[in-house]
Amino acid sequence: MNTRLKLDAISKRYGGDKNSITALQDISFTLTEGEFLAIQGPSGSGKSTLLNICGLIDNPSDGDYYLNGISVAQLSISERCTYRRRDIGFIFQRHQLIPAMTVYENIAYPLLLNGVQPKQIKHDVNQLLNTMGLEHRRKHLPKQLSGGERQRVGVARALIKRPQLVIADEPSASLDHQHAHAGLQLMRELNKQYGASFLIASHDAFVIDHCDRKIELLDGQLKASP
Amino acid sequence: MNWLLIAMRNILRDATRVTSTLLIIAVGLAALLVGNGFMLSTYDSLQEIAMRTEGHVIIIDDNPDPVLGGSHQQLTLSNWQATQEMLWADERVLRVLPRARFEGMISKGNKSAVFFGSGVDPKEEFRVHGPFLRTSGLLDPWLTPQDTPDIMLGKQLAQTLGAVTGDLLTLQTKRSDGTSSELVVRLAGLYYTGTPEIDNHTLMTSLTTATTLLDSNNISQLSIYLNQREDSIAIQQLLQEQLEGVTVQTWQQRAELYHKVRSLYDRIFGIMGLIILIVVFLAVSNTIALAIYQRREEIATLSALGTKPVRIYTNFILEACLIGIAATTIGMLLAYAISNAVNLAELMMPAPPGKTEGYPIFIYISWPHYFITSAVLIITVVVASFIATRNATRVSIVKALS
Ligand SMILES: Nc1ncnc2c1ncn2[C@@H]1O[C@H](COP(=O)(O)OP(=O)(O)O)[C@@H](O)[C@H]1O
Ligand SMILES: [Mg+2]
Repeated sequence: MNTRLKLDAISKRYGGDKNSITALQDISFTLTEGEFLAIQGPSGSGKSTLLNICGLIDNPSDGDYYLNGISVAQLSISERCTYRRRDIGFIFQRHQLIPAMTVYENIAYPLLLNGVQPKQIKHDVNQLLNTMGLEHRRKHLPKQLSGGERQRVGVARALIKRPQLVIADEPSASLDHQHAHAGLQLMRELNKQYGASFLIASHDAFVIDHCDRKIELLDGQLKASP
Repeated sequence: MNWLLIAMRNILRDATRVTSTLLIIAVGLAALLVGNGFMLSTYDSLQEIAMRTEGHVIIIDDNPDPVLGGSHQQLTLSNWQATQEMLWADERVLRVLPRARFEGMISKGNKSAVFFGSGVDPKEEFRVHGPFLRTSGLLDPWLTPQDTPDIMLGKQLAQTLGAVTGDLLTLQTKRSDGTSSELVVRLAGLYYTGTPEIDNHTLMTSLTTATTLLDSNNISQLSIYLNQREDSIAIQQLLQEQLEGVTVQTWQQRAELYHKVRSLYDRIFGIMGLIILIVVFLAVSNTIALAIYQRREEIATLSALGTKPVRIYTNFILEACLIGIAATTIGMLLAYAISNAVNLAELMMPAPPGKTEGYPIFIYISWPHYFITSAVLIITVVVASFIATRNATRVSIVKALS
């Protein structure tokens, strides 16, 4: 199996030299193509920080990491932007839907950014709306949705472009069982068809059970995996 | 994806703030446009006055009177009838009016005063002055050659002398040869302009009477009135080439008041306009900066999804344009309504310095100015929006999302 993601002694510190907070310390692990990896850890253990770095929206203080063998530290700002657009699907803890876009538009947006043909966009979005049980909500704005519905739109938006790497920050937090299941089903499909890899921070036993492997964070440090 | 629709949703989402931005721009624009419209109409009427009093093109003699020197009385333009004939043949020319300027003493009984007089073609003179030379107590017929010659007096000068229409008065003046001359005249009417220098000190009579009094066929200036003011410079150049020993001027060169007021108003209104622009810019950029800063989470999300900065800027600038267009449309309508209301109400301005009477406020509606000023304000909003977006995109994605 090819390596999708390789972290090499990643550290993250916040604040100045004197009273700095160490959010991550010396984190190294690899994620292979098609792997489902769960990240466990109590609140404040550094899960979000780690995922943000892996998703190219934050930079480590030390260490490097490699996406498909390419050193991320070497990438320019606009190259990172391209990776985020093309290869990474991010499921945010707080959904982060665009308020002025409808459900349909929110989900279609990543495809639009990637220059997918309008016909294809329409087909793909409609299909995914169906899978996620959101077709009756397609024209609604985020503020008109329940928390669970918003989370599903967030999941759909991350998965629609079939990214190589899906990063999810506690995605099932507000999903009911049925939809969490549908989401996972979808992830599994992506995983089989395109070899997508998944990095999921979660407390949910249901989600963790579906993963191939799990790592545990505690106070920014990796606990030895069992 | 319909970006226009999304921009509209964003604008409507923030209705209260958008309303205040709209109002600031609309009121600022209306103030600029109404001020400018007033300025334009003032310039126009000052130009109008200058052209009507002096003529579009003026011929004067180069050399001052050898005896009277630099005095008001200058009867040096000879042979003017030939020039007049020649000009009448030019179809661009409407009227050619001779004016003989003289000065002296006027008395009624034991009261007397210094006067500055003009010998003119009376009917034509009143025609060209139009509303800027008003009369009262006019006799009929007036200023026509009769047994007793007629004169008209500036209203205040008549008051100084205690003279009323029909009174007999005595004019005393000095001729070019140094001898003095005296003439009994009848007061045929009064005129007033609102300018004290004219109303307090001047009188008018027919050129025939002036010729008799002064014993000279010379005049002081020949005023040429054209069908179109645009021809002024062409005619001036033509005459300057053809005539010798004279100076030919255009109304522009003699419109002293117009130039004075214009340079004053340009400065006052220019500074005021600049202040309004700055205030609008500050107020608007403040509101917009706040509005966009509060959307930094949305901006960070767009960025996290891999949106290029250009797209983010475009979205916010599109919103700014929509707000700008809506606001300037309201502002233009407001200015249009205010201007029309003021014009209909026939409000009067207080008398300006050097005048005894106010003048009606008129506000021009100049569509080119409306659209150019609106464009400037729209650009202002876009610039404010651009700066705010730039600041909001500088916040790190993680910080904005947490
Ligand atoms: N912007 C920040 N500035 C300072 N400290 C931060 C910042 N973001 C996170 N932290 C700290 O880093 C640690 C890890 O936080 P986080 O990654 O959010 O944990 P988790 O997602 O596991 O709850 C926490 O101690 C948190 O207080
Ligand atoms: Mg977290």
